[in-house]
Amino acid sequence: MSAAKVKMREKKMRNQPASVQYPSSSSNVESSTQNGADAPGTGKNADPLKGGLSEVHPSTERQKKTPHQSGWVRGHHKDGGGYTKEMPKYVTAGAFARARAAEVSAMLKAVRKTTSSSRVFEALPKHMRRRAMSHNTKRLPHRLREVANRMREKGLQAGSKKKKEQAKSKSRKARRRHGNLLLEFNRRQRKNIWLETHIWHAKRFHMVKKWGYCLGDRPTYKCYRACYRAMSSHCLLQDLSYYCCIELQGDEDKLLAALSQLTSKEAGPTFAAALCLSGRRQGSVMVYRAGWYPSQPLGPVTFLWRPRTQGSVHRQLWIWAHPTLKQDLLPELQTVCQCCEAVLPPAAPVEVNPTLEAESEPENTPEAKPVPGTKRKRSCKDATGPPAKKILGDGTRLRSTPVSWRSSSNGIVINDLTMEIVRYRLIGPQSHSVLVDTLEAATGCDEVPKSQTCSLWWPQHCSDEAKMTLHQQQADIFNILKGIYSTAELPSGTVLGLTVDDPRLTLPRKRVKALPCVKQAQEVDEEKRRKLMLEGVPEPCCQSFIWEQSVRDNVTDNKISEQELNRMRSEVLVPGSRLSPTPLQGRVPILLVEQPGKQVGHEMSSWGAGWDLLLPKGWGMAFWIPLVYRGVRIGGLNMSLKHSQNKAAPHFPRDYPDCPAGMRFQEEQEAELLNKFKRHPPAKRTNYIKHGCVAPFCCPWQQLAEEWEIIVREGGTQTRTTAQADAVTEERTSQQAISITKPPSRFTVLRNRKALKLLSAWCRPTTSKGQRPCRVGELPPISCEAVTSFLSAHAMSLVWVHVSLPSKGKPEYHAMLCVPTPDDLKALGNRQGTGGPQEPPHRDHFKGRIKRRKKDPKKAATPSVTPDKPDGKKADLIFASDLDTNASKDPKSFSESSSDLVLGLWPDPLPSVASHCSRVTVGWVTQGDFSMSAGCGEALGFVSVAGLLNTLLNQTSEHKGKLLLRNPTSLHYRFAKINIEV
Amino acid sequence: MNSEAHTNSKTRKNSEARKNSEAQMDPVEYTLRKRLPRKLPKRRNDVYVNMKTDFRAQLARCQKLLEGGGHREICVHGLGLAINRAINIALQLQASSQGALQLAANTSTVELVDDLEPEDPDEAGEPMTRTRNNSAIHIKVFYPDAQ
Repeated sequence: MSAAKVKMREKKMRNQPASVQYPSSSSNVESSTQNGADAPGTGKNADPLKGGLSEVHPSTERQKKTPHQSGWVRGHHKDGGGYTKEMPKYVTAGAFARARAAEVSAMLKAVRKTTSSSRVFEALPKHMRRRAMSHNTKRLPHRLREVANRMREKGLQAGSKKKKEQAKSKSRKARRRHGNLLLEFNRRQRKNIWLETHIWHAKRFHMVKKWGYCLGDRPTYKCYRACYRAMSSHCLLQDLSYYCCIELQGDEDKLLAALSQLTSKEAGPTFAAALCLSGRRQGSVMVYRAGWYPSQPLGPVTFLWRPRTQGSVHRQLWIWAHPTLKQDLLPELQTVCQCCEAVLPPAAPVEVNPTLEAESEPENTPEAKPVPGTKRKRSCKDATGPPAKKILGDGTRLRSTPVSWRSSSNGIVINDLTMEIVRYRLIGPQSHSVLVDTLEAATGCDEVPKSQTCSLWWPQHCSDEAKMTLHQQQADIFNILKGIYSTAELPSGTVLGLTVDDPRLTLPRKRVKALPCVKQAQEVDEEKRRKLMLEGVPEPCCQSFIWEQSVRDNVTDNKISEQELNRMRSEVLVPGSRLSPTPLQGRVPILLVEQPGKQVGHEMSSWGAGWDLLLPKGWGMAFWIPLVYRGVRIGGLNMSLKHSQNKAAPHFPRDYPDCPAGMRFQEEQEAELLNKFKRHPPAKRTNYIKHGCVAPFCCPWQQLAEEWEIIVREGGTQTRTTAQADAVTEERTSQQAISITKPPSRFTVLRNRKALKLLSAWCRPTTSKGQRPCRVGELPPISCEAVTSFLSAHAMSLVWVHVSLPSKGKPEYHAMLCVPTPDDLKALGNRQGTGGPQEPPHRDHFKGRIKRRKKDPKKAATPSVTPDKPDGKKADLIFASDLDTNASKDPKSFSESSSDLVLGLWPDPLPSVASHCSRVTVGWVTQGDFSMSAGCGEALGFVSVAGLLNTLLNQTSEHKGKLLLRNPTSLHYRFAKINIEV
Repeated sequence: MNSEAHTNSKTRKNSEARKNSEAQMDPVEYTLRKRLPRKLPKRRNDVYVNMKTDFRAQLARCQKLLEGGGHREICVHGLGLAINRAINIALQLQASSQGALQLAANTSTVELVDDLEPEDPDEAGEPMTRTRNNSAIHIKVFYPDAQ
């Protein structure tokens, strides 16, 4: 009997009284005699086994049976009446009734008793039911009323008990009251920081919790293409306030000495680059652990020096880093600067504190908590001791957490300015016209009596002649921006300091699209414009008062509230006209930083250039809405990824697999993708083993680098085929066991500019349309010796490549980059239209194992590698019998063994990644998509340097840099061209 | 549309200028980075010719403007290497109109900006900016007024 039948029977028998025995096929004989049905002589034939036997000997048994064939056949039987039963000739009434008595009483009991969930009226037939019977018992028939009343009372009591336990929630109206709403908001942003534009975003974006922030991922409306168009022809706005700013103060030489440990000149300009040091440009640099240069990178940062003040060596530097990088960077900075003394908040957090207090107090005091049963209003009154204040800056930080560190030896001070400065990014060629439209240089304030001491910063500055001339110069330069037509015309990284009026004052009544105005453009002095384009902003004009803590705090504290502003607007004589005179509080120091667009490669140069707008905290929304009213599109995290992809720039932390933040990102991504994969039913999942994809969710860079290092070392510079590589990697797996004791060297990403230039020249086809043999003479041509010497330094390196697919194909992340065989290249040469070779489907040896594991956990616990096709059925038969015993015994081992085997994925010790498929893998894609700027598939990824050089050596000059790309869910290879762009 | 109108047209002139510059300074020390040419506001009947887009597509666009678009005249602009192609397009348009169209060509000089970024930042100091000139052509293709 199979398991299902047993179950069915159990279900049937569950409600039977114990005394009654339901006749099962095997116990037929005994029960029938027990029931008093006297059937002598039928017992033998009734046995199913006997019935089966009777088939074997039809000649003897059948003849006997045929006269009695008219008996009943109970249920469905395969052999068509395996047993027959004769009708009893007579029934003894007494015995029969006694035998049925228990059955009948059980039935009656079942009918009378109502289960807890059913109501009285449910027992009524349909035609007697009436509307609202449960509410009004009088609608029930009289005989049922009493029962119904009793049940109703019971129900009410239970209901009231449950309600009392819950806190009385406030009415919607009360919850939406401003103070209460703020309290609620403050509570909700205790774990993840909200940006100032959070509520604006939350209404329009899919929000994600990332890196301790709540960030908008992508808009809820469809605008992928529109956002791309905005980036390439108008302007896209992003809130980048989640980037962390770390301020360093100290003497210039000491700062530079400390910081030089973190960087290397080989990887490009450092903190000391002359132009950046003067404060005229923003610089970007890759930071390493102190003194570790080629290994142990931390991540990329951008930095900004404050321009020098005359006769002072004291400098101020802002380092902007991604939040995931900050936790690595800050301790490193503290060690190199020897800043270990935490300065307990003297000035900075003081004005943060009251807001924090206001936020925490009403929640921590026990009276403030809504006590169940008390009236809402009273509890509300209690809570409003100090009015709730909006959190500005970092709300998650504890009050006692230090934000400032000082060094006793060299006088350097580190300040953590996270969330102190708002940073908006405008991307697109028209971003300057949006800025020019939105912002207006601050107007002076002559009418204020100078004797009057004023707490505001602007009137004080107005009295200073030097500061006003500087302001005038800055305003002039800002006006020249009207004369340019594209943001990319300016030198990249230009910095411009400015003081502007409150942009809310000039808010247009309707959303307009800011466009460059030809008329205004012609007014601008041609000479000045040319000077700006060639030389950028002169040094003094890069100065801004946003650098000063006191001014920032002053501006933040004295911001006019929206309510106040609206009141002032309503008092204006002509409705809709500008407020005049401008209220004194409405002057904000800002900093404008030009962001360079695409800088590498020949095509689409300076695509995606734009401006960054830095504001003191608290002013976020005051600038956001006016910018939005200038017709910009808003992008989220998703768009910043696409922006960097189109710029062919690596995106932090996704494209930094050797940094700690990048590794964390990879782990998170793997877990997320695996979860998503497991959510599909097994039959609907892609079987990655069959697709020959070893690591669809996480790229094992370390393993790749190691394998290629061994391949190259073993094979020297000989030409090798797939088979040879295969053999070597097998060797490697055997070697692995031995070499475990040896400390493994970590892979690194190649960032040495000279080496990159050399590689870039090598993988360019030398004779191709549109490509000049550029400076080949100066660099050594690719040869065995050159490659060996190169590899001696960078054998364990990966290199960042830009991949474009000339024909079809849309690359996805984690697509494999493989080496084409000579035959593939020949086929490519013959017919351009060929789509590329196919990978033969692989066999999934683990599928059977998983199946068996499900059936029999005991056997699966002992690993068996034998393929299992033939014994499948037998195993099925044997294991089914003792299934129920096993399953109950060891569920633990079952869960353990099944956790590491997922259908369609390779279990953990991965096979050789390089030579797993018919084409040797050299790398993977980290981000890829159809590129709307190039009109074909484009991807960015890493390849192993050793693998790449090995490939290049064997390729003819016309096919230099041609690789194959294959998506993890496909068996089709596509030809791809790789470029290393420096 | 045509956002990269007459951009980085890799002219012979460009490379010559580049060679000259490299002769003057150590090529290892500097990286040359060309900025985009100044972009001027564009009317609907302006066509900026580039070397990246297919020739036939650009020709078809001009024809569409003249016939379907209802413009009596269009302006074809070409810079550097694209001058040749701009002339080609204008002549093709004229030939296919059986003499109905007339041409009026103007030439001009466009100032382009190059950035030279020092490779070794600490010694070399200031990055340099340099201007160079390139030729451009503006061809007016129009139906003469019927008198």
